[in-house]
Amino acid sequence: MKKFSCFLLLLIASSPAMAKFNVFACEPEWASLSQELGGDNVTVFSATTGLQDPHYIQARPSLIAKARKADLLVCTGAELEVGWLPLLQRKSGNAAIQTGAEGYFMATDYVALADIPISLDRSQGDVHAAGNPHIQTSPLKILQVAQALTQRLQQLDGANADFYQQRWQDFETRWQAAIEKWQQQAAPLKETKIVVQHDNWHYLSDWLGLNKIAVLEAKSGVPPTVKDLNNVLNKLKVTPARFVVHAAYQPSKATDWLTNKTAITKVTLPFTVGGNEQSTDLFSLFDDTIQRLLDANQ
Amino acid sequence: MNKSRLALLIAVTFVSSAVFADDISILKEELAQIRADYEDRIAQLEQRLSQAEKTVQTNSTVVTQINEQPNTVTKTASNNSFNPAISMVLNGQFSDYRRDADAYELNGFSLQGEGGLATEGFSLGESEITMSASIDQLLFGQSTIALHEHDGKTEIEIEEAFIETLGLNNGITIRAGRFFSPIGYLNEKHIHAWNFADAPLIYRGLFGNQLSTDGVKLSYLLPTDLFVELGGTVGNGDQHPGSGEHNGIGDWLMYARTGGDIGTNHSWQASASHWQASPEDRAYSGGHDHGGAGGDDPVLFNGDTDISNISLVYKWAPNGNFRQSNFTLLGEYFYLNEDGKLNNSAELASYDGKQYGGFIEGLYQFTPQWRTGVRYDWLGSKLRASDNELLDDADLDYSGFHPQRYSLMLEWLPSEFSRLRAQISHDKSSHDDDTQLFLQYTISIGAHGAHSF
Repeated sequence: MKKFSCFLLLLIASSPAMAKFNVFACEPEWASLSQELGGDNVTVFSATTGLQDPHYIQARPSLIAKARKADLLVCTGAELEVGWLPLLQRKSGNAAIQTGAEGYFMATDYVALADIPISLDRSQGDVHAAGNPHIQTSPLKILQVAQALTQRLQQLDGANADFYQQRWQDFETRWQAAIEKWQQQAAPLKETKIVVQHDNWHYLSDWLGLNKIAVLEAKSGVPPTVKDLNNVLNKLKVTPARFVVHAAYQPSKATDWLTNKTAITKVTLPFTVGGNEQSTDLFSLFDDTIQRLLDANQ
Repeated sequence: MNKSRLALLIAVTFVSSAVFADDISILKEELAQIRADYEDRIAQLEQRLSQAEKTVQTNSTVVTQINEQPNTVTKTASNNSFNPAISMVLNGQFSDYRRDADAYELNGFSLQGEGGLATEGFSLGESEITMSASIDQLLFGQSTIALHEHDGKTEIEIEEAFIETLGLNNGITIRAGRFFSPIGYLNEKHIHAWNFADAPLIYRGLFGNQLSTDGVKLSYLLPTDLFVELGGTVGNGDQHPGSGEHNGIGDWLMYARTGGDIGTNHSWQASASHWQASPEDRAYSGGHDHGGAGGDDPVLFNGDTDISNISLVYKWAPNGNFRQSNFTLLGEYFYLNEDGKLNNSAELASYDGKQYGGFIEGLYQFTPQWRTGVRYDWLGSKLRASDNELLDDADLDYSGFHPQRYSLMLEWLPSEFSRLRAQISHDKSSHDDDTQLFLQYTISIGAHGAHSF
């Protein structure tokens, strides 16, 4: 009996350590950010890896099982996950993560989006009605999301509000310093003419002042035809670009076609945390991104 | 008077200046000292100021960008802002059979409902309209209405119309209304989401393509890392192979499903389910007949029917990028067991029937826009009646023949929303072999639907 009660006591004592706050992040960048802000108080699960296309994920059984236990969803929103997230929510039997609940956090709700289409028509490819959702390519947007996410964590896990405040202040200081460093490093990139494969670098080029002169995918999400690529080629004859940017998660067929036809340099950027070996967290993601751009600009 | 005062003042000034001459020079020195001090300090301050200005400048680029506000949506809330998500699936096909489509038989099974072959030549398939939305904070609703033509008439069918709880918590979900029964893997998917132009033979033979129920479904998701879902349904039991009017529960079903990932490249799901009903006066139509009862004096079944199913799905996608390329392997097996009585107006016989079979599909998407697949169907039956004449009247083949079919398909997928498919099948559903060719388009317009695993 004594042994048993000892065991019970142990169980009770150890349970708070297990009852961490569960964060279900749709993409690795939000998993990394949640970890930065939540520290040891949160258990973070990332539904996708840095080499997966977040537009096209299957609502797999493993994801449903994770969604059932989540206290907070941290996703991009703006219809990026429209093909799979609604199913996870519905099948999870979890009130905490339903749309509009406190545990439903969409990063794009807290930043200004670009590329909002004037007209919506699927003949234009995979258009996002809410605007370009790939906000994680700009550290400025990430800072805005971080602030909103801190507030959400405080709201949901009030007992640890001070802890989250400290984590936020610490993160903000380090992040601001890093932004300054990256901006100084990237200063030579200003006005550099680039070509992109898919239009998912909008916020990065805005931030660094890159000049995007062509997109290989004439219609977003639709593999370019030879005619589309020839159009780009003709454009480049008039205005040559320094390099062509391609995200690690995408097949590089179109980019390779272009590098074979012209002398243009190809830059494969990690796009998100885990996009390559070097990008292990948000800081190294941008360290690596800037370095690769600078290398290509040599 | 004035003069004398002035003289006095001058005198005093002179005297005093003589006396304090030393002090003044000291004062001057001090003043100079102070000025130098201040100049130093000012220089220092100026330096600090210019430094501060510099940092402010670098910071301001950050700060100004961060102060931008998220898009403030100024939507005027009109009545149509609450419209549900509407999507429509259209499809049409060209079918060519070497044999007569009306003479199609599936030996050992009775074809019901949509169970026959599609009309030969050009035909418009089912056009489906699906609407869905959150009803309120607690419920989600979805309805699918299918329109199709039969014998020159347009028929409207409510394929699905259900409400479902939105996060009851603890992994519990309740659904009520009409829905596809959670038996097997393909059954819960709409036909347009299936991988071939026609239904697997076992679906055709047992359900007339698909089993749905009017009733209530309860499911429970275990709080484990491994996906485990347990659930059941109760329904009115009207749908083939159930039938009749039941005052209470006409059919029930229990199922268990599990699944997970192996690394990032592999995922799987397995399920087992069991369905039971007590059909009343289920009529054998003997061939493709939409009317249900065939002839003036149909053979009727009364008794108990149960069906068990196991299914297994395995998917492989490099890095988990399913759209780029993937391989899917799907297998299902059904076993129907029934016991009861067959009768028509003249005769009565005891009946013991077993119908079983399954299929296995392998699908390979080698680029985002091209996919190919093969399928093999295999069925069997063991039908025993105390009077074989009734089996003959019901058009049930009791020879124990094993229908088989081989199918091969190729798809072109210009986008997520459209598909062109060509399929060829070698069909041995009966003693007479048939070769079948299908060319089919399927498109979806409207809201972007989410696809289940």
